[in-house]
Amino acid sequence: MKKKMSRADRIFNTVNILVLGFIGLTCLYPIIMMTALSFNQGTDTMKGGVFFWPRSFTWVNYRVMLENVELRSAYWITILRTVVGTVSGVFVTGLVAYGLSEAKLPGRKWIMIYMIIPLFFGGGLIPYYLQLRSLGLINSFWVYIFPGLFSIYYCVVMKTFFQGIPQSLKESMRMDGAGELTILFRVIFPLSSALFAAIALFTAVGHWNDWFSGAFYVTKGSLIPVQTFLMNFMTFDASQTYSRDNAQAGAQALAKMTTEFSTITSTSLRMAAVMVALVPILLVYPFLQRYFVKGVLIGSIKE
Amino acid sequence: MTSAETKPLGIQPRPPTKHSLGRRLKRTVSLYGWLYAFILPGIILLFLFAYMPMVGLQVAFKDYVIYKPLSEAPWVGFQYFSFITDPVFWQSFNNTILITFFRFLFGFPAPIILAILLNELYNAPFRRLIQSLSYLPHFISWIVVSYILYTFMQLDTGPLNMVLQYLGFEQTNFMGTQDYFRPIVIISAIWKELGWGAIIYLAALSGIDPQLHEAAMMDGAGRLQRILHINLPGIMPTVSIMLILALPGLLTAGYEQIYPLVNATNLGVSNVLDVYVIRLGLTQAQYSVATAIGLALGIVNTLVVLGANWLAKRAGQTGFW
Repeated sequence: MKKKMSRADRIFNTVNILVLGFIGLTCLYPIIMMTALSFNQGTDTMKGGVFFWPRSFTWVNYRVMLENVELRSAYWITILRTVVGTVSGVFVTGLVAYGLSEAKLPGRKWIMIYMIIPLFFGGGLIPYYLQLRSLGLINSFWVYIFPGLFSIYYCVVMKTFFQGIPQSLKESMRMDGAGELTILFRVIFPLSSALFAAIALFTAVGHWNDWFSGAFYVTKGSLIPVQTFLMNFMTFDASQTYSRDNAQAGAQALAKMTTEFSTITSTSLRMAAVMVALVPILLVYPFLQRYFVKGVLIGSIKE
Repeated sequence: MTSAETKPLGIQPRPPTKHSLGRRLKRTVSLYGWLYAFILPGIILLFLFAYMPMVGLQVAFKDYVIYKPLSEAPWVGFQYFSFITDPVFWQSFNNTILITFFRFLFGFPAPIILAILLNELYNAPFRRLIQSLSYLPHFISWIVVSYILYTFMQLDTGPLNMVLQYLGFEQTNFMGTQDYFRPIVIISAIWKELGWGAIIYLAALSGIDPQLHEAAMMDGAGRLQRILHINLPGIMPTVSIMLILALPGLLTAGYEQIYPLVNATNLGVSNVLDVYVIRLGLTQAQYSVATAIGLALGIVNTLVVLGANWLAKRAGQTGFW
């Protein structure tokens, strides 16, 4: 490809680099903007013109947010549900997928049909909510964990992957008298570590970013995760008719905090809160990239 | 199941023998007991969180109150399906279709174009950088995206309004009127999934035989010609399967994105079906109506998915399962 480029090629290249550079910038800029605003004095931000870096630098927004009891509690809930939910979810789904990957299993076809029907038809939001209620999961930490323990989609992806592992490997281990658990932990899981990493990553991000369960399945303030905290904290528009009790509490907490320090505004606090929720994702992102690209591609390969 | 199919794993096949049901069952359990034990949690979890809600759909046909068990609620027939004459329902239906249609129209080709452009980038480090950046929004929650949108378009301080003012335009309260709601939702949805969606097309592009390009260049084909006649046809199978997979999305505008953006000023356009059901059911506790709407939508959605699956199979793909 390193041949002499024609004029048309050079124009194409330049335009291409500009277009792609612009797309890259639109993905990066919001992070830059929020970082700058979160480190800038709120009253200074109101004058306008803070776009790329803080003009009058301060830690105070972060200090106030990190001292906030609700945010701290929400943060712990989020970490806890992400760790517990991811580990248990990937493990349970992996076990099911391994069981189903055995082609000779009697009744496998019927179990697969049972697993696939919910992909096509479901009860919908309200019956689901009523079921959570009758299981006693409303207002319980476990509402974040139990419904997510098993994922049909990831199960199918894992099953397909396990079926690609040579069956002779399993069979020779069975002949040597190894139990299924030994095979699972010694052969199957180690061979699928990249897939597990990808699925764990997606599951973890799903837990970290979920605001819905915290907003509707939980009313206890002590159980609210970070994203729901942010949701309640967001009432930008005082006329929002949708604000629920929690949202009003969020707005009141915000008003109280802004009066404590004269340089703080609601915008500067919000930006600090958002950054606190975003930083873990930004930190792990560069290291996990290769896993998720692999994960998407494995997931897209079908039987 | 014939006994030949349940032969012991890894052991030389034996001639099929007739065993009593009890002995066959015992052998199956001893061979596959562990595997069944592994699968059991999945079966129970699906029963609790997928099949029981299906049973719960009867709420749509009953006068249900939360403090009494469902079995005691009286049947009322199709009374709660009168939502079909409710103008608010149809408004939310229209709002949904308008958003999903335009999101599909612009959002479907966008990752294909991005993948093709990235593929034409020969500077590897720059290419990797742009790719990494373009995946980033996929990992940002919709709540944070809402914050970004509000802050980016704020009056007097938001970068967008500042640029507009600098260029001599009037400042606009983008988030405070309903006029810009749809474009904002559609553009932010595309922005969030653009790079992520391109991954699969990039993989398809990298699978195209380089000899095709070399031969075309020998024949004097320019870059645009090669994109049109080699790259595009090369990724067409992927495009068609993704197209079919996108069909079911035409009925859901996505509450995760839209609910955080709903406010009093944009209610006329932001009240999509998802949001409508959430408000009726979870905020106002009108369980029966909300379930009836959910059921009707669920049936339509199932038909769309089945239709898409049928299309996928006809197109020579494997379908969803």
